[in-house]
Amino acid sequence: MRYAFFPGCVLDGAAAEAREATVRVARALDIELVELPGWTCCGASHAQDVDELAAVAVNARNLALAEKLGLPLLTACSTCTLMLRKAKAALDGGLKDKVNGLLASAGMAYAGTSDVTHLLWALVRDYGLERLKAKVTRPLTGLKVAGYYGCHLLRPPQVMDFEDHARPRSLAALIAALGAEPVEMASARKCCGFHAVFPAERDVFKMTGTINADAVAAGADCIVTPCPLCQMQLDMRQPEGREAIGTAGDMPILHLAQLVGLALGMTGSEMGLGRHVTAAFHVAAKAGGR
Amino acid sequence: MEQVVYRIRRFDGEKEFWQEYSFAHEPNKTVLWGLLKIKETADPSLAFVAACRSAVCGACAVRVNGEAVLACETPLDALLGRFGATLVLEPLGNFPVIRDLVVDWEPKAVRLAEAKPWLMPRDEFSAEAGCRQTQAEFKKINAQTNCILCGSCASECNKLSTGDDDFYEPFVYTKAGKFVADSRDGAAAEHLRPVLARGLWKCVHCQECVTKCPKRVAPAEDIAALRRESIRQGLTDNPGARHALAFAGDITNSGRLNETTMAVKTDGLLKSATRLPFALRLLRRGKLNPFHFPAPVEGIDGVRAIVKAAKEAKE
Ligand code: SF4
Ligand code: SF4
Ligand code: FES
Repeated sequence: MRYAFFPGCVLDGAAAEAREATVRVARALDIELVELPGWTCCGASHAQDVDELAAVAVNARNLALAEKLGLPLLTACSTCTLMLRKAKAALDGGLKDKVNGLLASAGMAYAGTSDVTHLLWALVRDYGLERLKAKVTRPLTGLKVAGYYGCHLLRPPQVMDFEDHARPRSLAALIAALGAEPVEMASARKCCGFHAVFPAERDVFKMTGTINADAVAAGADCIVTPCPLCQMQLDMRQPEGREAIGTAGDMPILHLAQLVGLALGMTGSEMGLGRHVTAAFHVAAKAGGR
Repeated sequence: MEQVVYRIRRFDGEKEFWQEYSFAHEPNKTVLWGLLKIKETADPSLAFVAACRSAVCGACAVRVNGEAVLACETPLDALLGRFGATLVLEPLGNFPVIRDLVVDWEPKAVRLAEAKPWLMPRDEFSAEAGCRQTQAEFKKINAQTNCILCGSCASECNKLSTGDDDFYEPFVYTKAGKFVADSRDGAAAEHLRPVLARGLWKCVHCQECVTKCPKRVAPAEDIAALRRESIRQGLTDNPGARHALAFAGDITNSGRLNETTMAVKTDGLLKSATRLPFALRLLRRGKLNPFHFPAPVEGIDGVRAIVKAAKEAKE
């Protein structure tokens, strides 16, 4: 399996541990990730507020770069996935000729041959959970994991059509395949607030606090999320979240690849758990991989 | 499946309680059919609203297993397949409840009126000449015209749920956006000003409204359009607009987000200084590198040319 890898700005910066974990896990599973040369920011669900056509065109360029490699594009971020898929839907839905007129100024063209997928989807659909299970060397037995989807990997379903947005199952299935126990949390599909942290701080901290408190109430040892932005929000802003809703209780927040890596026998240090604000090493310790 | 169970959250004007009703399954029916069956055969006191039964009036929206749907157009079998034989029915979220599944639109109508969702014709129109627009001009507002004010988009709106004093229902932005974009309307600012004052930049981008709308209206997209218009009019003195402009600027500068300067560009130096404890938290974990300035990506000239061409294409 080969993909054009789109790390996105966050894996390039604040969530560098997610990039490290993704690359290591892919290597262990014989999944080849070819980093997309010259990729640019997906717009992070903000660029369209300034210039909608430019936002689509910049992502058309990203898609065209993947087409040049002849590979499907893979991200490890829900928002990147949504932005790229949205652009693709707009292009295939009628904007292609107009945008190709713009891409021509950079000597490029979009054809529509590369699909856009996410690490979670690739593991569940392309790689297959049975195959993944066979690679697990240290089953996460006894670890209770709450799968948190957040928004952009599910909604809107017209663009993100991998699974039933009202009743997604992919995370629970993956958690179980790693030998851990999936636990349900009430706000698994709610918004963490990341994208509005500046203009709507008060609301966002409440959202963050509620999600973490729901996982505590569900008896989870940790949350796992397919989105590095959700991970950052729930982890880095956990103290403000607790304060906003008046709760206590730490909740480690793991990137998807980190959980997979632990089950593949990698250590907490290799997975970059030390970079989390809310201590996550005891998750690794519980999984026997300090 | 022989029996279907509706577990309904009821409200008698004073207290709230749950009640279960069971009835025989019939294939190819709607959620509303089940409600009518209960009312006609089991409990005439159950209150809900429906009028057109054709997905036109917007009256029958209810929440099923946490998701707003139009009862009259939603196939029961699809929901039973998704959730099993028991469905949990509640009134729309983020609305005051009058009785059982009936919600109060009165306060919402007052809020909607603040955005002046009616046509304020341009001066050149007259009774004789009429108020015409071309097909292309109509196409720009076609999607928003489909809004039937069912309230589904507001039911699970994540921002609205955390506070409505500084935010409107998604459909309010849609209605305002429609008239701002309407070629016949001559008072864009009258629609834009109230929504800008109340929450235009506070939407959290959760996409619930886009997902829930039974008419394929996309309020989150209308919010983006209103934001673009506000930026076009130079109304950028707020953290939301500065944040969006910082992203767009970073893409043309280097192709990548500059995390180091983002907070200052969004909040200004003073407010950013109040976030120092947070920045220190990140520095301690190695999550923030204040000296990291992304180098321009390979092919940045092409990126700049594309952005410029996009801008020119609209001028
Ligand atoms: S995208 Fe914005 S308006 Fe739509 S439901 Fe979410 S917060 Fe509300
Ligand atoms: S935008 Fe859609 S969901 Fe919202 S009130 Fe209008 S028709 Fe209903
Ligand atoms: S009864 Fe009119 S929309 Fe359902």
